[in-house]
This record gives sequence, C-alpha cells and structure tokens, in this order.
Amino acid sequence: MASLALPAFPLDNRRVVGILFLAPALLYILLLVGFPFLLAIAFGFSDVTVGNTDLNFVGLRNFEAVWENDIFRQVFETTIRFTLVSQVFILLFANILAIIFTQNFTGKWFARFIFILPWATPVSLAMIGWLWMLDTKYSPIDYLLLQTGFLGPGGLLSKDRNLFWLASPDLAQISVIFVQVWRMTPLATVILMAGLSSIPTDILDQAEVDGSRFMRTLLQIKLPLILPIMVIALLFSMITMFGDMTVVYVLTRGGPVDYTRVLGLYSFQVGIEGGNLAQGAAISLFAFPLLLAMAIFMLRTASRAEVR
Amino acid sequence: MSLVQISGLKKYFDAVHAVDGVDLAIEEGEFLVILGPSGCGKTTLMRMIAGLEKPSAGQISIGGADVTPLPPRKRGVSMVFQSYALYPHMNVFNNIAFPLRAQRREKKFDKRAIREKVENTARLLEIDMLLDRRPRQLSGGQRQRVAIARAMVTQPALLLLDEPLSNLDAKLRANARDELKDFQRSSNITAVFVTHDQIEAMGLGDRIVVMSEGKIQQIGTPQQIYDDPANEFVATFLGSPSMNILAGEGCNFGFRPEHFLPKTLNDNPENARIFHYFVKRVEYLGSDRLVYGYVQGHDSQLTLAKVPSNVRVSLDVESDYEFAVHNSDLKFFDQRSGARIAPQQLAEAL
Repeated sequence: MASLALPAFPLDNRRVVGILFLAPALLYILLLVGFPFLLAIAFGFSDVTVGNTDLNFVGLRNFEAVWENDIFRQVFETTIRFTLVSQVFILLFANILAIIFTQNFTGKWFARFIFILPWATPVSLAMIGWLWMLDTKYSPIDYLLLQTGFLGPGGLLSKDRNLFWLASPDLAQISVIFVQVWRMTPLATVILMAGLSSIPTDILDQAEVDGSRFMRTLLQIKLPLILPIMVIALLFSMITMFGDMTVVYVLTRGGPVDYTRVLGLYSFQVGIEGGNLAQGAAISLFAFPLLLAMAIFMLRTASRAEVR
Repeated sequence: MSLVQISGLKKYFDAVHAVDGVDLAIEEGEFLVILGPSGCGKTTLMRMIAGLEKPSAGQISIGGADVTPLPPRKRGVSMVFQSYALYPHMNVFNNIAFPLRAQRREKKFDKRAIREKVENTARLLEIDMLLDRRPRQLSGGQRQRVAIARAMVTQPALLLLDEPLSNLDAKLRANARDELKDFQRSSNITAVFVTHDQIEAMGLGDRIVVMSEGKIQQIGTPQQIYDDPANEFVATFLGSPSMNILAGEGCNFGFRPEHFLPKTLNDNPENARIFHYFVKRVEYLGSDRLVYGYVQGHDSQLTLAKVPSNVRVSLDVESDYEFAVHNSDLKFFDQRSGARIAPQQLAEAL
C-alpha cells in the first residue's frame, strides 16, 4: 500500500524537538559551567602560569602549597565566617519581609518594587554606590552622625569626624557583611514569598477557624510548611556568597590587611593578578567539595522536610 | 429560639453579588443542607457564618449574640473543608489537638485535658489507632474522619461542612454519608452542610436550603423540596432526569419523568391529564426504561418518561402512545418569574 503520509517535517519529530529545546540549556552548561570547571581542575594539577601556558602535571603540589599557606587558611576562615553570619541576617530579614509583603496593605506594589531593587541592580554599580556611602572622608552616614552629635568632638561613638567604615578592621568586616545582606535579602525574600503564597488557603482558613492567631499560625503552620523552600533560599544565597568576589573587590580589595579577603577574591588575586593560574585554580577548587557537601546535605534536609 | 439567625446577609465581590440578601434561621440540633449549583453563593454564605468572610450587609447571630463583627475564634463554630485542610506536617494527634491548643488560654485546657479530649474524640470516630500517623499516610476516608474529629474536639455550637464528601470515591461516599448522619444524630450537634450534590442533600438534610444566584430559592424538608418546588429552578434542579417543563397558554407546566406513564397504567383517568406522546428512543437502564420523545403540540421540547422495568408495556420507537400525568403531579409556573402558581388559578391554562 502506498503511504499517504506527507514528507516528514523535522519539527514533528519528538526527538528533534526535544534536542532543540534542551540545546540552549545544555550549551550553556557545557560552555560556561562544565568547560571552565574542567579547565580549573586541569590547571589545579598543573604548573601553568600566565607567562608559561604549558600544562605539566604536578600532582597535588598546588593544593599542598595552598593548604600550608597561612593567608589561605585565614581567607578560608573569613569566607566561612562571612557566609554564615550573613545567612543568619538574610534569613531573618527575608522571613520578616516575606511575611510583610504577603499581607494586604496599600502601596504594597511600590514597597515590593523598592525592596527588590538591591537585587535587580548590577552588583558593581551598587557597590560603587556603597563605596561612596562608606567613604572614609565623605561618607553621608558619617555626615549624619556628625550632625546628630554621635561623631566629632564630644561624640558618643568617636571623637573623630569619621568612623572609617572600610579602613578599620572591625567596621570593614561589618560593612562587607552588611552590604552582602543588603544585596542577597531580596532574592531570599522573593523565594520565601513564593513559598508562603503556595500554602493552600484552606489550611490558613482552617487555622483561623481553629482559633489560631497570627504568631501561632506563623510559627506552627506557615514556617514549618515553607521550611523546604527556606532551605533552598539559604542554599542559593550561601553558594552565591561563598563564591562572590565583586563586593570585596570593589569595596576593600580584601583590606585592611587581609581582614575582608575572601576565597573568590584571593583566587583571583593569586591566579589572575599574580599570574599563577595553577595556584589560583587550586584555591578556588577548595570551595568545591565544601559547597557540594553543603548542597547535598541541604537538599536532603529539604526533601525530608517536604511533607506533601 | 433558633441557634443561628441570619438576616439580610449580602456579600458583593465588586460587581458580583455572591450572596444577595439571605434570611435564614438554623434550629438547634438540625442537619441543614445548603444545596445549589457551583457559583450560587453557598460557600460564601458558609464562610460568612464561619467568620472567614466579612458580609457587605446584614447580620449573623449565633446563640442569640450578634457575631457579625467577630473573628472566627470567637464564634464557637468549627469547619470541615472540602480538601480537609489537615496540617500536613503534624501527626493526627497534633492535628486534632491544634484547635484546643489555640484556644487553651480562653478555655483553660491543661495538657492532660487536651490529651483526654483528643483521645476521646478519636475513639468516637474510630481513628484512635492512627494518632501517630501523618495525614499523607491516611486514606481519604481516614482523612475525613480526622478533619471531623478536629472540628468536633472543641465541642462547637455549630459544625460547618463544605462538601466534605466530594473527595471520596463513590463507594466510600455512600458509607461516609451514612456515618456522618449517624454521628450528627448521636452527638446532637447542629450541622450546616454545603453541597451541589442533590442525592447527598436529600439523604442527609433534615431541611434543605436551595440557593441560586446568591438568593435562597426554597427552604424545606427533602420531600417538600422535591414534591412541592417553589419555582421552576428548584423543580428542575432536583431530580434526575430533571422535571419536564412545557410551555402552556399563559404559563409553563411541568411534570417529573417518573410521573409520566402510559395511560393504560393509570387507574384513575378522570383525574389525569392525557398527552399524545411520540416515542423517539428508549434506553434500558435496568430498573427503569428511560423514554425520549415529544408531546403533541410541543414538538421542539424533548420530553422524558421514566417507566419502571417491571411495567410490562411494550414501547416501540417511532410510535405514538397515550401517556398520562396525574393532576396532582402537574406543577404550574409563571412564564416570566418562574414562580409556582396554584393549579386552580389556571384550570384553563392548558
């Protein structure tokens, strides 16, 4: 029997369409994630530098050298400390904001828009803004404190006219953490808001009829139900922050001394600015097993807490 | 005095009049069913009784006290949702205990009293062996019992049920209906049950409130609603297949398919109206034969007859027969408003 089928149009083939739809994501992962990652591993086990790009296998030499380096240890510790401390505040603020933004009030749309801005602004641009806000001499914060009598002769905080936000070791660390919290809270808030609005209204109505008030509903119903999503939000912001170098690069370059030097920045400084590609790669690879373990642990927690 | 008094209750969502002037009294200990098609305002009415929705106008009082401005927890009502709304992260014990704990300050329950109440209620609903389970480990019927236990544990004045049987499969549903009715009788609680399922309504309700387009169409016992519908909407909404409505002179008249039978079966032809009926198609349904055809003079209106199978009359398709309806089974409706009209007013209507 002669086939009556029309000549096959390639897009009618499920396999062809499937590959076409997957291609952009696959290409992105292969070119921009997979390739650099493999390259970093190759670099980490070699003696490559900017001046000599031959890849000679040297085993674990780079990793040993990095691990025995006191600066690296301090950088590693600082990175972990910054990440953990900022996550506490990010989660706290994101929860509060998400609860506020899922209530009904006038001007909600505008308030949401304003709070999303830190996340929507390009990092480097926002950091230049903060660089000015925290400027050693011309900081508007210092100016306000000066005018209100907290700074200057007889001031409560300091006799000086400035606090030296980015120049004193303690304040520089606080400033970096603060800016990170400012930058990362909006994304976590948006994720938590999505979680809160995914709670079935029946459940919340039921709680209301059962006599539950705001705090009980929040602590016993809403928060436990969005726990898996909270873990995802936490994972997102932890990983982003652990690898970030832009904030400290623009604000402090790791200073004063090494107080705000974090892993991403150190790897960049050693590998790119210092030209030792192999050691730079080795430094950044130290983050990998740690982040992987963290991600696995948190995703497991999330799926265990998933109740439906 | 009635337990619940509702007067002039309205709820507008912008231009939509979800509930449009409802007056209703609910008696203590009765099982009241609110029946209507989806979108008729029955759920909104119930949510206003619960306090989850603020009325646009009107008043609700429970036990003689005006509760219109009060939040749900001050009304002494509890509710079972269609989805059961069990707290998925809590085990059955904690689900049932939740309303007690939420109200422990007002009602002064201590830990032991809570445990005792939860266990007693669970025993009553035969779920006492499930107290450690999570909702997702329960079957549909068990979930429903947990939801009812949680609603009953505070001994509310009024139990509101929003289509709680519609998530069960057909077999379980008949069983659950029976149990629910038994449970309501033995606990003597006042229950308001919202449904769009007329069989549920007829089976459960001491009284049925039929709603459409935000208004109450009729309130009555299942028998009153079925045999004595107040208007064309109620007449056609209840019964399956629904009542035949034909246009007469100056008014519409209707009769139920099961009352429309071959004339030869009628033992009292003087008190019956005879129709020439052209049989188009016959469906054999086991217990009945469902006949589709046309009444002479009403050729555009498909008219159904439901003839019991044990009636041995042969009905051939594409043939004319004489069918009869007993006069008392004929209902007359105003053509404009659909309201029921007394038959003596229109002896000449046909």
